[in-house]
Amino acid sequence: MEVLDLDKRPKSKLELDPKWANICYTCGTCVSACPATGLVPGWNPRTALRAIALGLEQEVIDSKWPWVCTLCGRCQFKCPQGAELLKTFRKCRTVRDRDKVPGSLHKGTMMNIEKGNNLGIPRDDMLHLLASLGAEMEEDDEHASCPGFYVPVDQEDANIIVTMNSKEPFAEPDDMKFLWRIFHAAKESWTVSSTNWEGVNWGLFSGDDESMKIQVERVLENARRLKVKTILYPE
Amino acid sequence: MAFGDHCGEMSRWITAQCCENMVEMVDNPVDNLCCGAGGGAWAGPYAKERIDFGKWKADQIKATGAEMVVAACHNCRDQIKKSLTKEFDLGIETKYVWELVSDSLVIKPWTKTEITKARKKRNAQFVRDGVDLEEL
Repeated sequence: MEVLDLDKRPKSKLELDPKWANICYTCGTCVSACPATGLVPGWNPRTALRAIALGLEQEVIDSKWPWVCTLCGRCQFKCPQGAELLKTFRKCRTVRDRDKVPGSLHKGTMMNIEKGNNLGIPRDDMLHLLASLGAEMEEDDEHASCPGFYVPVDQEDANIIVTMNSKEPFAEPDDMKFLWRIFHAAKESWTVSSTNWEGVNWGLFSGDDESMKIQVERVLENARRLKVKTILYPE
Repeated sequence: MAFGDHCGEMSRWITAQCCENMVEMVDNPVDNLCCGAGGGAWAGPYAKERIDFGKWKADQIKATGAEMVVAACHNCRDQIKKSLTKEFDLGIETKYVWELVSDSLVIKPWTKTEITKARKKRNAQFVRDGVDLEEL
């Protein structure tokens, strides 16, 4: 086995302060706290943090550990030394090459940047779907029907602007009616934006801080443009 | 009724208003474990790990003996409803907290004046956006 010379550790992509090697007591509290312990052979919060502290961070970045970890933060919460495990594991996602981000997270993030929602639903399709679901709400007899209901789009000066989760218009459109029925019963003044309405911020999950920020700015921009003071972000 | 999140007292209070018998998942919120689909895992390719992770949550849900579990998050709801219920034979109903509220509502119908006013605004919106109600 090759001896690790701690003075010759490569420059950390994770920008982890070298003193972290001493902060972690290797007590294993994080391991006990973590429901993902045992799911990826060789890796758990402690071995991952130790490997990073010892200059072997690329092994952690290349492993599937940071992606099987759900970033729940229980390890960090329980750590008696205050090690920022959650932050470190998310950073491992950030520094991975974008074409190696597993699953559809990066693809969806790029789709969102380009088209305004993770699944690339066109504006006109969305407007017609909202109108059509609104008409169903007026007649729906499974639950109480809601005559007078429609989905207010781009309505200025509403009390609340609501983001939407693209999975719902795409696959489970009726699930949007739960929230709408509450607004109808409360006679709430609300609206949605016709563009950039996505509420699911996959940049958060893929570790893409720049895209995450763009998404947040869009949500804020919609509220400012329509002069709405409250953003409801049901994610 | 069991509430499955660590997202706060407000959702807990709302759930309690809709159900006569709400039970807590665990005594201490920090022990209310992640469902296993958080952090983007629901959209990720590691299904086996997601399900094995979710076994912890499935066991917690089972231990409540509840007939319905309420989630305040899309990922938790999908993981419990579409995956864990089947994988671990939970025999439980899963709802979003806002779905529970929606199902609990007794809606007072709007007056004719309110309906007419809303439809007028709706029609103006459809004209502006080029949506033809007849075509729907």
